[in-house]
Amino acid sequence: MRQSVTRLHATLLSVIVAIAALAGCSRGPVQTGNVFVIAIESEADILDPQVAGGWVSWRINRQIFEPLVDEDLSMPSSEATVPPLRPGLAESWDISDDGLEYTFHIRKDVKFHDGTPLDAQAVEYNVRRMWDKSSPMYNARAAGQTGFVWKFLDSVQTVDDHTLKMRLSQPFSEFLRMLAQGGNGSTAIMSPTALQTYGEDVADHPVGTGPFKFKERIRGERIDLVRNDDYWGKVPYIDGVVFRPLPDPSARTAALRSGDVDMIAVPNPDSIDNLVSEGYQLSEGTPPHTWYLSFNMKDRYTSIPEVRQAINLAVDREGMAKDMLRGSVTPAWGVQALSAGGYVERKDIYQRNLDKARQLLASVGLADGFQTTLITSTDGSGQIMPAQMAEFIQQNLAEIGIKVNIQTQEWISYLGVWARGMQDGVGMAQMSWGMTSPYWLYIVTSSELQAPNGPNVGYYSSPALDKAMNNAIIALDPQEAEQWWRRANNIVSDEAALVPIVNDKAPYVLAPYVSGFISASEEWYDLTSVKLEQ
Amino acid sequence: MTATIRNRLLSTLLVLFGVSLIVFLLLQLVPGDPAVTILGSGATAEAVAALRTELGLDRALPIQFFDYLGGLVRGDLGRSLTVNAPVTDIMLPRFANTIILTVAALILCIVVAVPLGVIAAHKQYSIFDRVSMMVSLAGASMPVYWFGLLLIGAFAVTLGWLPTSGMYNPRFPGGFTDLLAHLVLPAIAAALVPLAVIARMTRSVMIDILQQDYIRTLRASGLSTNSVLWRHALRNALPPIVNIIGLQVGYLLGGVVFVEVVFGWPGLGQQLYTSITQRDIPVVQAGVLFIALAFVIINLLADGAVGLLDPRTRRKVGA
Repeated sequence: MRQSVTRLHATLLSVIVAIAALAGCSRGPVQTGNVFVIAIESEADILDPQVAGGWVSWRINRQIFEPLVDEDLSMPSSEATVPPLRPGLAESWDISDDGLEYTFHIRKDVKFHDGTPLDAQAVEYNVRRMWDKSSPMYNARAAGQTGFVWKFLDSVQTVDDHTLKMRLSQPFSEFLRMLAQGGNGSTAIMSPTALQTYGEDVADHPVGTGPFKFKERIRGERIDLVRNDDYWGKVPYIDGVVFRPLPDPSARTAALRSGDVDMIAVPNPDSIDNLVSEGYQLSEGTPPHTWYLSFNMKDRYTSIPEVRQAINLAVDREGMAKDMLRGSVTPAWGVQALSAGGYVERKDIYQRNLDKARQLLASVGLADGFQTTLITSTDGSGQIMPAQMAEFIQQNLAEIGIKVNIQTQEWISYLGVWARGMQDGVGMAQMSWGMTSPYWLYIVTSSELQAPNGPNVGYYSSPALDKAMNNAIIALDPQEAEQWWRRANNIVSDEAALVPIVNDKAPYVLAPYVSGFISASEEWYDLTSVKLEQ
Repeated sequence: MTATIRNRLLSTLLVLFGVSLIVFLLLQLVPGDPAVTILGSGATAEAVAALRTELGLDRALPIQFFDYLGGLVRGDLGRSLTVNAPVTDIMLPRFANTIILTVAALILCIVVAVPLGVIAAHKQYSIFDRVSMMVSLAGASMPVYWFGLLLIGAFAVTLGWLPTSGMYNPRFPGGFTDLLAHLVLPAIAAALVPLAVIARMTRSVMIDILQQDYIRTLRASGLSTNSVLWRHALRNALPPIVNIIGLQVGYLLGGVVFVEVVFGWPGLGQQLYTSITQRDIPVVQAGVLFIALAFVIINLLADGAVGLLDPRTRRKVGA
């Protein structure tokens, strides 16, 4: 009997030794092989940039594909609150005096990764895929995603190999910036050869013009990109990028610590301090993200302007940002994020002032407060910690006598409920979103886009606001447009139509040997400057 | 024998039909619209409606279900709503990865739990017996998720012996040895609960058998303790143990979700987790069907094995 126990021990021991030998002994310095490995927070959507939704996918697609007009992401948020536009696949453009005709000069000597030359016909092919219902390459999903960009497009015409004309039905001051967006689909240009060859399966063969080429994708495991040595722009230093989906935040942190990955997205707020003290680098900025509440304009209480103002004055944004979320977000002092054009800081509306809040409630006979319901999700992309944040707000509002019931739902269910529009009894609905384009404000507050026809889920309707935003959209002079957007922001703030609470800083934690990663004021990043020192 | 096989196959088909029907209905009841998920919060109602039509989500439920069944018979599990690829293309590699993990966990289980149970039974009430059963019970009571993180923290991060996640090294994906190294921690985490169950079961069955008269006879006839224990007693204990192992495989297949998410193991569980949260109905249905099918087949095999191991059942079947 002792023999079998000894044998058991011996077996176990040899197994352990074998494993240790197998895995190598002590942890030496990480050998990166000049390949940058990023642990991302969820599996990406398909690699079709015009159809894929979500920031996670666009961060990857943006390395392979490029739009006509791009954003300069080489400056961190501290240097550029709004990332400036810069030429992408269009090296320059002319806008007619009436703002209706855009002539794009397509960059010369650029090839797609499969050798297809980039020309105006290729761009037109792509545009029609997203916009022209009668065209054979029309893709309904791409059209649904990019609908806001092509909303006013009347016609697109190839003039010659490197000149493309687009005509709009009305001036659209944000057209160029909308062309640079991604996150709800994008207008990035795909190889027409690939589109024609692979049809429905084109997402398995992503061919673009960008600084990285697609190498391999194993779902759930990795998305492998390699450097494009023939890139027309700044060729990256790194040999390649690997995006590794790791949905669990603790697993991501462990992967970083063990050297399996070089950078992690969405770290646990609690782990950031520890990682930084261990020598890891924290990179964050002010991307166009706002975590906000919409008011139900049909509700007997929240339809009263003084009630909305009081609620805005009662929320402790600084407390939430500093104490609850440990500085991983900034308090929101304006309707839009800092990185959106037309941003106006309104601390008079959004900074905590309990006395004034109580006065306002008393002035409409609600000194004793009232009861209402707030809906939010339990998790979700960009939502940070929605249920806990809602509880924090609940406590804030209790101090002025407002009793808030919180209803939470799982993210996808919540999206459906939110999109349908607020029901009776619901006073506030939470969402998080944003764009560097102030056009976002139009999308969430225009009376034409009230739910269920759009994201204006509170049925907010303000003729003055609609007029200001319309003026901003058709303005031909960028300065004039900016003025109108600021006016629109001010109207929304004066009417306290929304409750912007905090802006995410999109923190990334990087290994000490990584340099050149920049957190610009955008939800995605440029990897062409990244260097790995070992 | 053939009658039994025929009956078992029939009941297998019924089980699969029932499972797919229930899953289909449940997914319809759960709130959330795949079209809204795919298009995101910025979508207009028209775009959502158009997508629903394109995906066939606006047809009557019975039609959707029978379409699905028809496809199943042809081996076509439909197309994923979110990925726009055939479900089989997505699920088969995932299924294979989960099988790898399940087999590894099972081997670990059997190799550790059965001897543990045997020795504990032999040394009943000794320190070894009490400690080993307590440790295995403690292991089974720990949340797999938390234990997985503990394993990663200890062996992967602090000691650096093993990788933290995934199936292969992200930078330099290797071959079989790379896979083995990545298998160790997830297999341990997954094996925890079945290990305890199998160990305790083995112990109680062995205790019963060791008290039988024929064991005393074998000892008396001069056979060594080892021989009696491992060759004779264990052999007779195998039928119920194999039965339990078969059932534990079902647990492993279903419970492997937590392990796969924590360790980033690209298996069926992780895919189900993602697909459920995205309301990707065809993928979820396929995932559940795969698990049900695997469970049924494995238990079929287990019952067959029991039949082989225990002549008594065979005689009953013949009659």
